[in-house]
Amino acid sequence: MTGAAGRRRRAAGWSLAARYLLLLAVLALTVGPFLWQLSTSLKGPGEDIYRFPPSLLPHHPTLANYAEVARVIPVWDFALNSLKVAAANVLTNCAGAALAGYALARLRFRGRRVAVVVFIMAMLVPVESIMIAQFMTLRQLQLHNTLLGVVLPGCIGAMNVLLMRNAFAALPYEVEEAAFVDGASAWQRFVRIALPSVKGTLAVVAVFAFMGAWDDFLWPLIVLNDQSKFTLTVGLNYLHGTFADNQRLVAAGSVIAVLPLIVLFAGLQRYFFRGVGEGAVKG
Amino acid sequence: MRRHSRRTPAATAALAASALLLSACGAPDGGGDSDSAAGKVEGQVTFQTWNLKARFQKYFDGVIAEFEKKYPGTKVKWIDQPAEGYPQKLSADAAAGTLPDVVNVSPDLAYPLAKAGLALDIGAAAGKYRGEYLDGAWRSQQMPGLSGVYAFPWYLNTGPMFYNKDLFRKAGLDPAKPPTTYDRLFADALTMARKSDRRIAMLAGAPSIEDFGRYGVRLMDARGTEFTFNEPKGVELLTHYRQLYAAGALDAQALTAVAESAGRKFQQQSVAMNPGSALDLENFKRDAPGLYENIGITDAVNNTGKANMYVQGLMVSADSKVKPAAVAFAHFVTDRRHQMAFAKQVAVFPSTKGSLDDPYFTKEDGTDATRVRVAAAKSLKTAVNYTPVVLSDQMKTVLRNAVARALQGKQSPQEALDSAVAECNRLLKTG
Repeated sequence: MTGAAGRRRRAAGWSLAARYLLLLAVLALTVGPFLWQLSTSLKGPGEDIYRFPPSLLPHHPTLANYAEVARVIPVWDFALNSLKVAAANVLTNCAGAALAGYALARLRFRGRRVAVVVFIMAMLVPVESIMIAQFMTLRQLQLHNTLLGVVLPGCIGAMNVLLMRNAFAALPYEVEEAAFVDGASAWQRFVRIALPSVKGTLAVVAVFAFMGAWDDFLWPLIVLNDQSKFTLTVGLNYLHGTFADNQRLVAAGSVIAVLPLIVLFAGLQRYFFRGVGEGAVKG
Repeated sequence: MRRHSRRTPAATAALAASALLLSACGAPDGGGDSDSAAGKVEGQVTFQTWNLKARFQKYFDGVIAEFEKKYPGTKVKWIDQPAEGYPQKLSADAAAGTLPDVVNVSPDLAYPLAKAGLALDIGAAAGKYRGEYLDGAWRSQQMPGLSGVYAFPWYLNTGPMFYNKDLFRKAGLDPAKPPTTYDRLFADALTMARKSDRRIAMLAGAPSIEDFGRYGVRLMDARGTEFTFNEPKGVELLTHYRQLYAAGALDAQALTAVAESAGRKFQQQSVAMNPGSALDLENFKRDAPGLYENIGITDAVNNTGKANMYVQGLMVSADSKVKPAAVAFAHFVTDRRHQMAFAKQVAVFPSTKGSLDDPYFTKEDGTDATRVRVAAAKSLKTAVNYTPVVLSDQMKTVLRNAVARALQGKQSPQEALDSAVAECNRLLKTG
């Protein structure tokens, strides 16, 4: 082994170590707060949860905080409502955005470019500025205080349509031309050829739609009145007491709220990372 | 895309408020109708509270059952809103005409509704009840520029100052003599920062409007048309805070602190003094036992001799279809007996006359919780709500930003307050 090669290997070793160190630091930054929440939610009464440096291992581990959350608020009903809203949002967004995206990318019709521009412009309007108008529309439709009213305004997101459009536009044209020659209709080309090729982006849209609906707070708060219809984010807010906060309950509540997102992401991550690169590299 | 909607709560509030005002322009003025509360008490009353269901379901179920029994033919539908986003929820409901019949509001929330003609004038509709409430509580529901009272006074809250005796001792301060005036507070804070080598801050937060009030700054002119907290006294207070911030006597995150984060800092024992209420004692015991052993309790620091109080009220919607029943129910919930019962549930204080003379609020039994309660009840008799009702959320943000600029040294305290007053006055005029 020559000296130069050894030096190079050593230099590579250092840079590898530095890289891992950096990755670990970022991991600590992103996961740390969540671990603190998780450990707080498991700590029994009398334990100092504000100690510095924080102790992540509970001394008297207990699940009582989770039971207490379920006692204070009907957390499972809230979760079920959230699940309904999120599932509906995923379905409408995947179906709607795929249809609209395919039309914008592949079908030729008058005003196609204008339609794309309109979609981009729509994304520039802050949701907050039209929220009251949306609410008044819903009231006219007699849909306030219903879960349908919560789903409706976000059921097809402009961002998702653009994502799908770009994914479809990146597919090679020749494949569809071949199908066209074989006599496939637009509908058949969409279902048989195009859709199976963009599974990754569909997964991205699904995760975004799920997260968007699951995490949303202000809109469901404004639309819903009855506690029996509240979604999880709105309902969990009850854990912030008017007069005193119990950090353990808040922590347990947020762990309950985050779990489905983690499960969903873990289930879809294979597609997810494929999807992020899909529109960019292929073509 | 709904997931962006939590990005700008302040902007939301502003937009929601403007939408409310726009939509209210055409609304008929139903506020001054004096005979509206007369008539038979019947029908379904919708009653909205602010984050009380999770803890006090039993109490309210009892009150409602009692009311329905006393007035056959009435039915009360109780809804409860979570802590966050309440102003937005109210303005959306106001804009769409879906306000509940009886609504739990604080005066600053009631003001835009009253101005838009959506709140019933209780003074005209139910003035006969005035004598039942503490004068200060009744008057705190009056709105500048409007004649009338727009909510029944409900529970009051105030609290002492908690301090960490251990940190006082370590800084060489006498743990038996906590500061009670602002001058002492500033001097002790500087000592604390110096002795602890800037590691322990005396206070967690930058001054808020209540601090200006307690310091003795005149916040508004007598008619409530212009803000005046940029007068020399206000500048003096801000200059002091600027020294504290530079010396490390304010927490490093003071500029963005809110009540919750300040409370956390105090429990982490990196801040030596923090305002709180009797309920916090329980929290300290449970969450920060190390702090609980060293907890000290003293009156809130002030120069005026008057503590600050927070007031809640029950507003009746001017568009209510069941006004007689709504007024009767709002009065029923806020009458002496029910307020007293509520105060025994949780550490709040009744706003009805004579209630604070009850032995429950005057007799000590040796426990800390009782001591805090008795002291708070005593201070309530002269307490004032320093926060002007016309000070909207948006104006509070304006003030907070100005204070932050001054503390960071980007502007002199005078300049910062001048610009904040100018901006708040502009908002007041256009609002």
